[in-house]
Amino acid sequence: MNEVILMVHVLFGVACMVTAVWLFVDVLHANEVNLNRIRRMSWAAAIFMWLAFLIAGYWYVVSYHVDKAIILNGPWPFAHSYFMETKEHLVIMLLLLVTYLPIAASNNLAANKDARWLVLWVTAGIVLLALMVEGHGAIIAMGVKVGLLAKQH
Amino acid sequence: MENNSVSKYTISFGLSLALNSIINAVLVVAKEKNQTIMAGMQKITGNQWVTHSAIVVILFVIFGWLFARANNGQGLKIVVNRLAGIIVAGVVAGGLIITGFYLIAD
Repeated sequence: MNEVILMVHVLFGVACMVTAVWLFVDVLHANEVNLNRIRRMSWAAAIFMWLAFLIAGYWYVVSYHVDKAIILNGPWPFAHSYFMETKEHLVIMLLLLVTYLPIAASNNLAANKDARWLVLWVTAGIVLLALMVEGHGAIIAMGVKVGLLAKQH
Repeated sequence: MENNSVSKYTISFGLSLALNSIINAVLVVAKEKNQTIMAGMQKITGNQWVTHSAIVVILFVIFGWLFARANNGQGLKIVVNRLAGIIVAGVVAGGLIITGFYLIAD
């Protein structure tokens, strides 16, 4: 079950990132026709991220201590001491950015060039930060793997 | 002619986002460097990270709401391009403080 929870949080994180990429392209071509879709997709990105955050938070509080011990006793302790520590705090900024997205996208992006630029900056920030924390997650998972492998040898 | 103004909540929550990105980073440094703060945050919810997250999200809502009530309820006035710059600066600064702290200082 733990593994399922872990994978579901990654799934929602990736869904948020893909939605933000979609939004970036849609906002570049914002007009009266795609305005409602942009607003719906910005809400979707926020919901995906909140789900990823809450599921990951539950896993972090309840289960992560086991992985943490494996990482810290393995050959890649930095997978926790640097990558997990930065990830768990960078993700809070990501959460704020996606929460802000539907507010910024509620303006008339078809008629307002400055509002379009604002949403483009926010979506670009979401994509970059999401990529960063996904990469951190991969290194943390690898930290567990090399820790377990080291135990076998 | 294009209307380049945005809603008061776009400005107020945008400023709150930038401010709380910095607060998030400062809170990281404060709790990692001061065990009393860390213990206090641990005590509030049972997990320091849960407390940390809750503080930042709650402050985001509070500051966003307060900034929207400024100027007799009209909200803070700022040019949208400047707002975008402030948000980017806040997020980048917050990110650099966090990554830099764990890379060098911790």
